[in-house]
Amino acid sequence: MTEFEGCPGSKMVDFRDEGPQEEATGKVKSQLRQWPIQMHLIAPTAPYYQGADVLLTADCVGYALGGFHPECLKGNSIAIACPKLDEGQDVYVEKIKSWLEDAKINTLTVLIMEVPCCMGLLNLAQQALQSSSRKVPLKAVIVGVQGEIISEEWASA
Amino acid sequence: MKEYLNKNIKEVINLFPEVESILNEYGVGCGSCSVGTCLFKDIIEIHHLSPDEERELMDQIAEEINPDREKRAPSIKRKREAGAAGIKYSPPIQKLVNEHVLIKRLVAMIPRLIIDLDVESEMGRQLVIDSIDFIRSYADKYHHAKEEDILFKYFDENAEIIQVMHEDHRNARAHVKAILEALDDRDQKAVAEHLDAYQALLSEHIKKEDEILYPWMDRDLSDSQIGKLFSQFTGKDEEFGDIPIRSEQFINKLEEKFKLLEEIK
Repeated sequence: MTEFEGCPGSKMVDFRDEGPQEEATGKVKSQLRQWPIQMHLIAPTAPYYQGADVLLTADCVGYALGGFHPECLKGNSIAIACPKLDEGQDVYVEKIKSWLEDAKINTLTVLIMEVPCCMGLLNLAQQALQSSSRKVPLKAVIVGVQGEIISEEWASA
Repeated sequence: MKEYLNKNIKEVINLFPEVESILNEYGVGCGSCSVGTCLFKDIIEIHHLSPDEERELMDQIAEEINPDREKRAPSIKRKREAGAAGIKYSPPIQKLVNEHVLIKRLVAMIPRLIIDLDVESEMGRQLVIDSIDFIRSYADKYHHAKEEDILFKYFDENAEIIQVMHEDHRNARAHVKAILEALDDRDQKAVAEHLDAYQALLSEHIKKEDEILYPWMDRDLSDSQIGKLFSQFTGKDEEFGDIPIRSEQFINKLEEKFKLLEEIK
C-alpha cells in the first residue's frame, strides 16, 4: 500500500488484497428511473421528483456501495453531486429548496462518503432545509471507502 | 416454555411472580403495567434487547418456569437486529416525544396541585379546570389524536401493544371526566384521588411510549412512511393553530405560580 499525507479525500488506499471478493450472480437490474441525474442538469420540479423520496448522492457513493441499485436507489428519485469538486454549489441549495417547496418531496436522504470533504453535501441539504418554508425528514447515510454503511441516521435541519 | 410465549404477560407473571423481577433486571417493566395484555413473545421483540441479553433473560425465565427440565429457552424471531444503544427517534416520532415533555411538566405539578387543592373556592376550582383544559386540548385532542388518528393507523391496530395504548388513553379520559364531576360535587377527596391516578397513569404511559412503543415503531416504519407521517403531523399542527403555544404559556405560568408560592413559604 502506498500513501501520502494530506487531504483524506485524496489519500491513496489500496485494498485489492483485502479478503475474498464476492461476486454478484446474475444480471443486476438498474433501478434508475430518470435522466438526467447530475445536480447541475436536473430540473427540481421534474415529474419524478413530485412527492418523491429523493436521494442526494455524492458521486463516489455509487461506485463504493456494492448494492447501491437494489438497496438504495430502488423506488427513489436521485441527483448526484460532488461537494469537493463541483462549481456553482449555490445553485444546488436553490434546487434542493425547490425540491422541498415546489416538488413537495416526501423525504431527502443524503448519501456521502466517509471522507471529511463529503460532509459539504449534507451541509448544503441542511442549509436548504433551514431556509425552506416546508420541512421534510432528512436522513444522512455515510459510506466507507470499502463500501460499508458506517452510519445511517435522521439528521437535524 | 413455548406455550407461555403466546400468553399475555400479566398471566405469566401471575403464574410465576419471580418473572416480574427477572424482567425488571433487563429494564422490562411489565409488572407495573396497568393493562398487561401484551403477549410474552411480543414483549421480547418490542423491547429490542441485544441478542446476548435476550438469551440470558429467556434462559432465566425458562429456569423459573420449569426448573427441572428446560435450561435453554426458544429464541424470538426478530424483524431486525438490535441497533446501537441510546434512543434516537425519527423526526415525526421526535415531535411526539417533544410533546410528551410539556405533558410531563404538568404531570410533575399534580402532587403540588393536590396539596393546594381547594374545591370550595372559585379560584381553587378554576386552577383545576385550567389544568384539565390543558389536558383535554393539548394532551388529548392534540397529542393523543395524532397517535390515534394517524400514527397507530400505520400498524395493526389489533396488536396488543396498540390496544394497551388505546386503553391507557381511555382510562386517562375517564379520570379527567371523574375529576370534573367531583369538582362539581365539591368532593375534594375524589378530585385528589383521580388527579393522583391520572398522574400515575400518564407517567407510566409516557415512559412506555418513549422507551418501548416509539423505538419499536421507528424500527418498523420505512423511510417513505416516516416522510408521510411527518407531513400528516405537520398538517395536524397547522389545524391546531396556536394551541401548542398557548399550552406552553399555561405550563410556564403554572410553574411560575408554584415557584412563587414555594418562595413565599
